[in-house]
Amino acid sequence: MSEVPSLLPVVPVLIAALAVPAILALRRRPNLREGATMAAALLMFGVVAVMVRGVLGGDTYTANLGTLATGIEVTFRADALAVLFGLLASGLWIITSLYSVGYMRGLGEHAQTRYFASFAASLSATMGVAFAGNLLTLFVCYELLTVATYPLVTHDETDEARAAGRKYLAYTFAGGVLALAGAVLVFWLTGTTDFAAGGIAGLASDPVAARVAFVLLIVGFGVKAALMPLHSWLPDAMVAPTPVSGLLHAVAVVKSGVFAIARVVLDVFGPDVLSDLGLGLPLAVVAMATVLLASIIALRQDNLKRRLAYSTISQLSYIVLGLALLHPTALIGGLLHVPAHAFMKLTLFFCAGAIHVETHTDDISEMAGIGKRMPLTMAAFAVAAAGMAGMPLLAGFVSKWYLVIGAIDAGQAVFAAGLLLSGVLNVAYFWPVVYQAFFESEDDHDAKPLIENALGGTRDRADGESPASGETDVVPDGGQESDADDADARDDADIAGDEPDPAHVDHVADDHHGGPPTGGWAVSGWRGGESTWFMLGPILAAATGAVALGLVPRAFVFLRIVTEIVGGLPGVTL
Amino acid sequence: MALPDVATAVPPATFVLIAAVVAAVGNRRVGHLTGLVAALLVIPWVLLVPEGAHLPVTFLGFDAVLFNVDAFSRLMGFVFGLIGAAAILYGLYSGARDRTVTFALAYVGTSLGAVFAGDWLTLVFFWELMALTSTLLVWEDGGPAVRAGFRYAILHGIGGSLLMAAVLWHYVAVGSFLFAESAGIAAGVPALLAALGIGVNVGFVGFHAWLPDTYPRPHVAASVFLCVYTTKTGVYAMARAFPDGHLWIAYMGTAMAVWGVFFALLQDDMRRLLSYHIQSQVGYMVAGVGIGTALATAGGMAHVFNHILYKGLLFMVVGVVIYRTGKERLSELGGLWRVMPVTAAVFAVAALSISGFPGFNGFVSKGMVTAAAHKEHYDAIYYLLLAAGVGTFLSFMKLGYYAFLNGEVSHQVSDANRGQVVALVAIAALCVLYGLYPDPLFAMLPGEGASEAHPFTTGHILEGLALAAIALVVFVVIKKPLKKIPALPDVDAIYNPVTFYGTRGAVVGTTETYAAVDRVAVRFASTSAWIANHPREAVQNLLVGVGGRSPADGRVSLRAGIGTSVALVVALGTLVVLVLSV
Repeated sequence: MSEVPSLLPVVPVLIAALAVPAILALRRRPNLREGATMAAALLMFGVVAVMVRGVLGGDTYTANLGTLATGIEVTFRADALAVLFGLLASGLWIITSLYSVGYMRGLGEHAQTRYFASFAASLSATMGVAFAGNLLTLFVCYELLTVATYPLVTHDETDEARAAGRKYLAYTFAGGVLALAGAVLVFWLTGTTDFAAGGIAGLASDPVAARVAFVLLIVGFGVKAALMPLHSWLPDAMVAPTPVSGLLHAVAVVKSGVFAIARVVLDVFGPDVLSDLGLGLPLAVVAMATVLLASIIALRQDNLKRRLAYSTISQLSYIVLGLALLHPTALIGGLLHVPAHAFMKLTLFFCAGAIHVETHTDDISEMAGIGKRMPLTMAAFAVAAAGMAGMPLLAGFVSKWYLVIGAIDAGQAVFAAGLLLSGVLNVAYFWPVVYQAFFESEDDHDAKPLIENALGGTRDRADGESPASGETDVVPDGGQESDADDADARDDADIAGDEPDPAHVDHVADDHHGGPPTGGWAVSGWRGGESTWFMLGPILAAATGAVALGLVPRAFVFLRIVTEIVGGLPGVTL
Repeated sequence: MALPDVATAVPPATFVLIAAVVAAVGNRRVGHLTGLVAALLVIPWVLLVPEGAHLPVTFLGFDAVLFNVDAFSRLMGFVFGLIGAAAILYGLYSGARDRTVTFALAYVGTSLGAVFAGDWLTLVFFWELMALTSTLLVWEDGGPAVRAGFRYAILHGIGGSLLMAAVLWHYVAVGSFLFAESAGIAAGVPALLAALGIGVNVGFVGFHAWLPDTYPRPHVAASVFLCVYTTKTGVYAMARAFPDGHLWIAYMGTAMAVWGVFFALLQDDMRRLLSYHIQSQVGYMVAGVGIGTALATAGGMAHVFNHILYKGLLFMVVGVVIYRTGKERLSELGGLWRVMPVTAAVFAVAALSISGFPGFNGFVSKGMVTAAAHKEHYDAIYYLLLAAGVGTFLSFMKLGYYAFLNGEVSHQVSDANRGQVVALVAIAALCVLYGLYPDPLFAMLPGEGASEAHPFTTGHILEGLALAAIALVVFVVIKKPLKKIPALPDVDAIYNPVTFYGTRGAVVGTTETYAAVDRVAVRFASTSAWIANHPREAVQNLLVGVGGRSPADGRVSLRAGIGTSVALVVALGTLVVLVLSV
């Protein structure tokens, strides 16, 4: 483990930052403008890849850019945790940029220059968060990330988008203030905020203050990590264009939140100090509650992107749970879930976006039979959804495997039970989308969301007619005629659905005109005729990444990096 | 003659999974034929490959063995390949679609992967994939099969989660996933979780209702595949987890045998009747594994083999009836022996096999399990299993009578077509062969138990004949009353509504609570903002509310004069000093 003074950690930040004026300058040449984004993304990825090699070989790159004032140093550092996040974000920027091209041009969106420039700025801030060497640098880049993503969230410029943006800023800046307070407290306790593997020495000298600092930091960073009850900015931010929702809210913004929490747990406090202070269990309980409650709420969402948003909230807390269990195997599971979830969730969001562009359909209740129209997209959706549920062949299985071992080994088997229950809930809210796409048709399907309708299913037709009388499910022996229950159940559902519920907004866009055209979905083949390859390519690439991480996690480098992170903690033998 | 060592690098699942990929891109014929070749190839492969734990790898960071060959896995591989081939041939001639055969081949391939796993990680890996591929196979038919498949997926998700928890807990206790590192699953919590998780797959009483809910729904060819792989891989896993058995598992197996038969007897839908019988017959296997002696384990595994043959055959026979008549219920059928003699004859063979009539294969393996129970003096298990045997005879007398014998055929119906006949007769012949000459099967059974099996003693044969006779008498007596009993609801009549409405309650409760909290928070925020922006009005409203000053009393002034300001500052300062000095 050798420290190598080098400017390499700053380079990715600069590359993306320099891309911003380049993009703005090329506003009249869209192809060149997109080329600038791609060039920056590829270059950034290359630089990070070089650092990954070095880090896996045992080097840590540090760059001290000077002192702003006493104790406020600006340092950048590339260690294993930094390159985990850096590699992920820079790699996914490449495919998201390709996807953005297809999406924005497919919809003929306005203000594309502002969009791509803000995107580059966001990635620059993300790299800053990833490669920050101390809490204060992290904080500054964290806040810059919020600023850079605001134009993306409010891209549509509608009232709804502006409201979502205001909520986003309110939550994240409030969180930032708390995080700053925590960072200051850490500095006051120890005299430094530099990250040190295993924790900053002397932090536990005043247990009360240390606990307060931890709570402040976790609550502050927990806003972006979507810990409940600080999560509600995320579903509302789904009003943004899908590539934004995908990369930023499934990968960069929320991952910067969990990354910051990882830094706090591993490199500010350290697992040993946290377990001495007894702070692991409360955090684990909050994370577990988030996992389960968010999955439960997701069952009720009709809008696909909102369903995905609640799924993100739930899955992010897998990572926080892994960190909170403070056990090496659980740490591996939690950190591995960072790239695992990223690939899977990105695939899902890309699919949702492709569906929106091609068919203007946003609601699950109108997507029956859409597998005919968009087979590749829905197949990728099915694969990623299976991964979310923790099915083998996919990344979600591997991280869940490690997390459960860690929970049992740490003597906290109840969290293992919660994780497994969450897997079943994932099946419950993803499978209906998958099965109705391929195995039901526009003319004959279960009304969705399933939980809002009758036990056993309410048959629905695309043209809105109520189910034909007498057309109940085939009732074999021992089954129950559900006719009598149907009317009651539908009344109950209506009553529950009557009150306007902020967690249950159906229509994200005003001009809602989705669903199958008259005559049913047009049949596309499996050769990619369903959409542009600018969107299909990234979808398949992200799905392939999820599978690669599920089959060969070490060869696909992420498990090696994660093992390096956890193995580098003092006192841990793997 | 054994295969060269290079064969140890290719587990049999490989051929079948490659065939699945071919079926996905090719048409119906190509898919079925490739699958047939692959399944047939499995048979000599598993019999001739050298024994041992082949393909040791590091998988996901853990030691794993991908291709473990011993007596247990050879037996499973052999019969899986055999019935797979028959089912594919049957499907080709019964109108199975190319999507059906694609999913079916994936299902067969993952099942082979599971039974040839040499460690728990690989087994769970393929176990979950089996659940996934079988769900696709159920969904494929569309219509009511889709919702049933969803219920199936959820329940198998729960079962898989329990098994996963068991395996991971075992790893924490033992330090390895390899079968070679420990005998069975670690005792205590892991064993309990494993029994429950595997119990979902085999149909423990209470966990079994997915069998009659799911298997009757999809295409008749899909049902043939479904009835074989999930439950028997479960029995195999149970034998791996509990190599010395466990008494409670034996009791549960007995309970399954009785429960399944009882409900089967009440069914009108043919495939539902057969599905309950799966539970019942698997109960014999589970009882054998649970008793744990050499004879019992061998008997249980022999029953796996024989059951796969005759249950696959039964689903094929019933499938032909449905394929030709379009009817699924006994109440709508009758008199088919005249127009479908071949099918009726094959049905007779299959029915006698499942009931355990001497001369057919079921008699041999059932006899081994009951003999083992008798030998260990588990009298309750012994007599209950015999009673279940009577019940089995009864239900197949019912099925045969109402489908084939009783009544007249309403319109012209053809018999099984050529391809179906080949599949049916081949498997039926094996049922008779292994019934009369079980030695080849005995040679494949694991352990020494086969040497203790003496199926053809006079006592056993008389026992078998006596059960048949009792059943015949009982059937004649209860035939009419049986028609009047309605089909009773099973446990899913309880747990389906409870789960659904319970989940809905949780969902609505969570969202409504959150909405209420959000409303309060928003109102607080907007009120605070209003007060900050309109301080005068706010104070005015407060005074009106508190004091009785009417709003027309002139505007309230919020400016403090110099005197008041000094007083306020001094008061505040005193307070601060007091607080700091505490």
